[in-house]
Amino acid sequence: MPALNKLYEQYKDRVQFLVVYITEAHPSDVWQMESNIHDQVVFASPKNEEERAFVAGACVRKLGVKIPAVLDEFGNSTERAYTGWPDRMYLIDSQGRIAYKSKPGPFGFKPAELEAALARVVGSSSTRLVSGGE
Amino acid sequence: MRLALKPSPRIKKILLRCFVGFAVVYLAIGGYIWWAMHQPPEEFGKVMSRMPGPVPFLLFPFETLWVRARAGQLNIGDSAPDFNLSKVDKTAHIQLSALNQQQPVALIFGSYT
Repeated sequence: MPALNKLYEQYKDRVQFLVVYITEAHPSDVWQMESNIHDQVVFASPKNEEERAFVAGACVRKLGVKIPAVLDEFGNSTERAYTGWPDRMYLIDSQGRIAYKSKPGPFGFKPAELEAALARVVGSSSTRLVSGGE
Repeated sequence: MRLALKPSPRIKKILLRCFVGFAVVYLAIGGYIWWAMHQPPEEFGKVMSRMPGPVPFLLFPFETLWVRARAGQLNIGDSAPDFNLSKVDKTAHIQLSALNQQQPVALIFGSYT
């Protein structure tokens, strides 16, 4: 998360950032990981929207997430639309089109790739503005 | 003088059967993992929780299968599906299309565990 917070601080004046909290990757009642027990991050699957909001709130606080965060609805419609589970990143350009899509996490979750995409898109946006002013 | 270690036809037959049996089991487990990767997260998690430790990661090309199974429908250049979701602190709703009117949007999907 520190890498993403850093990108947020760096680009927040030019790019909107949004964390979408989705279904837990390793809830204790489904697929518990030893590393989560060690880190004392043990949560059972939320059974309703309220429980999901509670875990999401803990996630934002404990991980020190500075980026605004929203909660996927309990039917996981946004996660399914974006194939976001267990974690994934996108960059959407100012025309509403997908400019960058990471591979699925955990293997494909690489903030450095998002950083490169941000530099590309924000840079190209600046170029367009300059061109448009001529 | 050369020592002949040529296996008998019976040994050959046993080895061949072992190999075929191993290949069938390997493909069956690999196919099961591939199938599970296409199921909803909870179903996939249940399947993986029954696997013996790191075996699926060590014996199968797990990352390659995962990346293909979770490729998703969206491609570069596609319109981003709109959504309108509550903030985690419940203070407001955020609609992607409204957020995206003036600036690009970086979306980060994830959870706590």
